Amino acid sequence: MLHLIKTILNKVYVIFLMCFTIWYGFFLYPIIYGHGGADHDVDILASADAEADAEITALLNEADMQEEQFASALREQTSTATTNLGYMVVEEEYVQGHFHHVGMTVEPDDNSLCIRCHGAIPHDKAKAIRAFLNMHAFYIACETCHIQPKVEDRNWAFRWYDKKSGNPISNPPGLTSKDKSMYGNYGAKIAPGRISSSGQFMFLNDEKERAFVEKYLKEKDRLGSTQQSKMKKVIHRRIDEKPLMCDGCHNEDKPYLPFDDLGYPNRRKQDLVGTEVAGMVAKYQEFYMPKFLLPGKGWSADTPNPAEEKTEEPGHNAL
Amino acid sequence: MGVLPNKMLHHATQRQAEAFAAVLAVFLVIFMLGALIWTPPAQAEDELNCVLCHKFRGLSRIDENGRFRLFYINENLFMKGPHKRIMCMDCHRDIKKIPHDPAKKVTCTVECHLTEPSGKQKFSHAPVKKVLDASVHSKYDKDGNLKDYPEDYPSCKNCHEQPLYRPLSFFKGESSGISRRGLSRCKTCHQTGDFAEDFYSHVTSRLQKTRESKEIVEVCAKCHGDPAFQKRHDLDNVVESYKDTFHGKAVSFGSNETADCLDCHVVYGESVHSVESHKEPTASTHKNNIAATCRNEECHFKAGEGIASYQVHTNYNDAEKNPMQYYMLKFFQGLMAAVLYFFVIVIFLELLRRLFPNFCFIKEKPTDANSVLKNSSSEKGA
Repeated sequence: MLHLIKTILNKVYVIFLMCFTIWYGFFLYPIIYGHGGADHDVDILASADAEADAEITALLNEADMQEEQFASALREQTSTATTNLGYMVVEEEYVQGHFHHVGMTVEPDDNSLCIRCHGAIPHDKAKAIRAFLNMHAFYIACETCHIQPKVEDRNWAFRWYDKKSGNPISNPPGLTSKDKSMYGNYGAKIAPGRISSSGQFMFLNDEKERAFVEKYLKEKDRLGSTQQSKMKKVIHRRIDEKPLMCDGCHNEDKPYLPFDDLGYPNRRKQDLVGTEVAGMVAKYQEFYMPKFLLPGKGWSADTPNPAEEKTEEPGHNAL
Repeated sequence: MGVLPNKMLHHATQRQAEAFAAVLAVFLVIFMLGALIWTPPAQAEDELNCVLCHKFRGLSRIDENGRFRLFYINENLFMKGPHKRIMCMDCHRDIKKIPHDPAKKVTCTVECHLTEPSGKQKFSHAPVKKVLDASVHSKYDKDGNLKDYPEDYPSCKNCHEQPLYRPLSFFKGESSGISRRGLSRCKTCHQTGDFAEDFYSHVTSRLQKTRESKEIVEVCAKCHGDPAFQKRHDLDNVVESYKDTFHGKAVSFGSNETADCLDCHVVYGESVHSVESHKEPTASTHKNNIAATCRNEECHFKAGEGIASYQVHTNYNDAEKNPMQYYMLKFFQGLMAAVLYFFVIVIFLELLRRLFPNFCFIKEKPTDANSVLKNSSSEKGA
């Protein structure tokens, strides 16, 4: 009996060694032939991984304008820049053509339903304020401004959600930081929801809504073009025609967002509702933005001088 | 105090009052002196409070050409470079009001409000542009004609981000950062504001490379490592071939002593902006000058002329351009594969034998005792 066990163990050991030899044969191959010459060398310096690089190179070989743009977008999203100052190392995302140092990377919102189609920098129509709107989209979910309660709703509330997991979290600690580079980069967003009768908070874009949009995106090719339009209408059913405007929140009397509850320290709340921001918003309307209420029709460099238009629309200050 | 009558000095309460008055007087003097000497600590040169809006990382948009435009200013980092003394509007000159229209591109060659101390002239980066325009990176050829794909040729911002100080300390060996001992010497006289810190940082940053070798390679690779760019200008992938060299390997492991792109492509002691084509007789990489470039006083100064034969940009994949290297690589790869796989196969077969000690493809014929005996006897007979 013992002899049999010994023999079996011996055989198993030998089989293991044989498997190892085969693995070693495969292991050796890239070591010997890994250097395929300059073009395919393993990239030590660049941060983009080899697979993505191969894909990019393949795309570029077919050199088409749009594809080139797509390839460079692919490259862009993985590229980072490192500046070693000796006493500190600045690690940041690389933004082509950006002169000033960013000094950080921003956590993408993996959770927003809207971003999946509209992207993270969606505002483009209102030329004068689009950058400001995009800035807000970094820490405020789309539905916060684009879906407001149709009738007064006492259970309507706001919470922060984690950009990675999508779960509601307590107020981010970055809010109380005095380091300005932390402003807006909390790894979280404010989103609206409802408090149920049992006292539980549910985001407006809850599991059900999420599952529905997921399903639509997955299976939309099964629908005809007319049906797709129909479904889009369904998905966007709650979106307000007129979104919340700047002075909805940036006013001292009755800010739409409950800054205190959301963890803004009084110092920052005062900035947001006081002269620093609210004053700027007022100035924006008064001097340069007569068509402030009409996204897409705001003045731009190529539209007539806003100062002239101001006289035509004296009512704009009544925002 | 001296005017007080002597006989009162022994009085305890009087003494206390006197001491109190003295302390008060000292505090008053310190306070007044302080008020005279003290000036507000240096703030960002942001008297218009541009960071009111620009401090938010998300301030951005996609422009008409599909480019991502970011309008964020990291104030902490902005204050760590020589530009900290320049106001936003000194560079962004078209901004006259807040809120402002879309800003135009910044011209780096404008004269700024700083006075260049040696020549007492307004400071400008224009001389750098002059050098750049005479280099291979100019978008005009020697006759002043626009080259093909002029948009591919670099301007300031293609290679430079906002500069940051890299101060050094030399007191007990070289280390990074501002030396407090060094600064104390400056601060004895230059007490006001951040003058001493800035001047110290500026000078010691200039005593070394502005960027690490690895960063230099990355800067050049922005264009020269881009396959589409190489295709347009009929250039080799010089970045990858550099990375194959000893220099490239050392740099990738963080060395700053070894040669990076600029060390070879700029004539020793000249401006780093003066890169020339290897076809130019004055270029550091012209075949007659390569040896001199390698043998500069900081690198291989003891080397002979033969060092010029060192090939930096060899494409091992190109049988036409580098046939010897191509076939050499193939030969050694084959040799290595033959040796290693021979032994791998031998080991595998050896293990197989252990698994099946009696296995054989050719079955031996059954031998009976008689035939063996016959054979042995016939052998004996012979």
